[in-house]
Amino acid sequence: MNKVILKSEKLCKQFGLMAAVKDVSLEFYEGEIHGLIGENGSGKSTFCSMLCGIYPITSGHFLLNGKELKVKSQVEANRNGVSMIVQEMGTLPGLTIAENIFLGEEDRFMHGIVKNTGAMNREAQRLLDSYGFNRIAASQMIDNYSFEDRKLIEIVKATYFNPKIVVVDETTTALSQTGREELFNVMDRIRKSGNTVIFISHDLEEVLDHTDRISILRDGELIGTVNTKEASSDELKRMMVGRVLDNRYYRTDYNTPVSDEVVMLVKGVSVPGSIDNINFLLHKGEILGIGGLSECGMHEVGKAVFGASYSRKGSVTLADGYKVNTIQGAIKKSIAYASKDRDNESVVIADSIRDNVCLPSIDDLSKKGILKNKKLDGFASKYAKLMSVKMTSIQQYVSNLSGGNKQKVVLARWIGKGSNILVLDSPTRGIDVKVKADIYALMTDLKQQGKSIIMISEELPELLGMSDRILIMKDGRINGEFKRNPELDEKDLIAKMV
Amino acid sequence: MSKLLRKFKTGRYFGITVLVVMAVFFWGIFKISSPDNFGSPKLMTDYLQTSIQYAVGGCGLYFIVVMGLFDFSIGANIVLSSIVGVLLSRQFGYFGLIFGCLFCGTLIGCFNGALYSKLRIPSMIVTVGLMLVLESVANYVVTLDTSGFPGKLTDSNILAFNHAPWNYIVAVSTFLLMFFILRFTKIGTYCNAIGSNELVAKNMGINIEKYKFIAFVLLHFFVGIMALLTVSYGRGMLAVTGMESMDRNFKPLMGTFFGIAFKKYGCPVTAIVIGEFIITMIFNGLVALNVPTTINDFVTGAVLLIIVTLTNRGLKGSVVK
Repeated sequence: MNKVILKSEKLCKQFGLMAAVKDVSLEFYEGEIHGLIGENGSGKSTFCSMLCGIYPITSGHFLLNGKELKVKSQVEANRNGVSMIVQEMGTLPGLTIAENIFLGEEDRFMHGIVKNTGAMNREAQRLLDSYGFNRIAASQMIDNYSFEDRKLIEIVKATYFNPKIVVVDETTTALSQTGREELFNVMDRIRKSGNTVIFISHDLEEVLDHTDRISILRDGELIGTVNTKEASSDELKRMMVGRVLDNRYYRTDYNTPVSDEVVMLVKGVSVPGSIDNINFLLHKGEILGIGGLSECGMHEVGKAVFGASYSRKGSVTLADGYKVNTIQGAIKKSIAYASKDRDNESVVIADSIRDNVCLPSIDDLSKKGILKNKKLDGFASKYAKLMSVKMTSIQQYVSNLSGGNKQKVVLARWIGKGSNILVLDSPTRGIDVKVKADIYALMTDLKQQGKSIIMISEELPELLGMSDRILIMKDGRINGEFKRNPELDEKDLIAKMV
Repeated sequence: MSKLLRKFKTGRYFGITVLVVMAVFFWGIFKISSPDNFGSPKLMTDYLQTSIQYAVGGCGLYFIVVMGLFDFSIGANIVLSSIVGVLLSRQFGYFGLIFGCLFCGTLIGCFNGALYSKLRIPSMIVTVGLMLVLESVANYVVTLDTSGFPGKLTDSNILAFNHAPWNYIVAVSTFLLMFFILRFTKIGTYCNAIGSNELVAKNMGINIEKYKFIAFVLLHFFVGIMALLTVSYGRGMLAVTGMESMDRNFKPLMGTFFGIAFKKYGCPVTAIVIGEFIITMIFNGLVALNVPTTINDFVTGAVLLIIVTLTNRGLKGSVVK
């Protein structure tokens, strides 16, 4: 009989209106590697972030060895025997490796107010050596090591104190094959010591090879838990993305021809480390969907065609022969871009709706460099109302708006600018159903006006429901192309994604 | 061999070597250009004595600049602490001078830190406001000096800190204290961690507000020491108004920039000290060449920008604030 070491009971996490985790009750056994899988936004990382004290729990609780686990920070979680290796960089530049490993735990080496730096360095080196990472010098600045080495240091940091639960969140994507093997060895060691690993990965083969049981989350809900030995890749895929396709908000036309007029030619576009040799055409009045797993490079494609990628190779040519190389050039040539990272890359959070809507059109709205409030107000009001932004006035700060309304402000901005090519990265990410429907209706309307849209999305139903053509990416390359077709379903896309 | 070279190039000795080479380079340039008016052992000692007072302030500034904060009130603190030190020295001699400068400086640090934490507005805005307040207070305090020489160190028996060896002893003790704090206390580690990624540092259980407060206190404690040297060198201090004290912020800050730029080599204190020396040498070298002040400022500023850019260039596409 397996002993339950960790249990979540009716765990929920709400971000504003959006429920990221809904009533998840899960059990983890002692001495197992438990895979946690699901699409992007399915709630895996949020679930583990609550476990590690990064996010507060909205309702429900965790029980560790039968006792309720209440932690407010990663250090508190560590002290309770729970640690996490995060998806992003979890080490801090500007500190030595030893300082990184023992950050928040310096008291072990303190004599009064004096830190025994020598002892700390020696202990960190001993740990690194015991993991087989003796090429790393503990007293060196972490800045001198590669991303992969830093990930290995993070593994030591997260596991040296023999935690009962170790969360490995999408760590393998940052590692080479050798690095992965080193990580899997550490995971095996943890399992053999009777402790538990929660392993999050998009690589199903990896999950099937290295776990004992697998739990599947979808839209924040637990779909089920299966024994790895009895599971197959196809079954897991179905459980991950096999929702009932809801057509209510999407286009219903299937036989509308797309113009032959090419408005953009993307040829041999590569960005080192992200995308490789991307080629496609965009036609007038076409909605071109680009999909894949989150790390497949599709988000970089959006930046690359907008001239926002650094070290981009290849060319993005418009119908008039203009080559897009800079953001300024792209905007001048009527290209719009809405980033996936809405708060950091799309809206100016600490500014009004008016200024956000007017931003790219300032030159058009000014007369000999002079701006008139009346003109700006009229412009912003017109497009904010057109997009039905829920606001008290156009002077309201964007920071006070919901995610959906922020997205409407972004779209109002580009529609006001009269953009003919819109690159929309995850246009409905974190947006409620009503606003989603509004955005889909707008996209259909823009298409009918002859505007072209590149829609990058991690949502398969959205890609299937809205696109005239779908490109599926895998490992930075285009791995499949599908034309709009009522027979096309998610399985066809997934087969090219995973 | 290449492994050894790589190790050297990422270590503190490489950083120190680069700094020393730069110092020798600039010395060579000015010595060749103006052999009679620059670079003699006597003049080099003068440059060093001038630069150490700024380096003391630069060490203090490092604590907050590394966290992404700034303090415009350090010039005003130097003025006020110096005046308080002079005032107390009339009654208590050396004890009054030292205590007045250090205690007043530290007290202002506590006040700045507390105000920054409570008001929750950017440090630049808080400290610009405080600069004006401190300048006004200094103008009031100076009126309390009824000696007939307000703000002046008239007693020649308490001028030990304006020459060797005591100015060196004070400065070197300060540099050692700075080195000790950075390397052997949690404060140094946490200041770097907060500056690197405040959210991650917070998730590691670090009390961000507490360590920002401590950083402000330490900054102004060091500024208090700088005030002690400044008032001794100048044999007094004039109370100023209308943000005139701001001018005193920038020379220490230049050293701090060197410290930040060479942090990755693990030698920020050495970089601040040698950096200030280089800046002082360039300044005096240009004076020796009879270069007008405006050109002098231009060259000094340009050299600082070039050095910091070459040693601390951000990644392509990274957001630099």
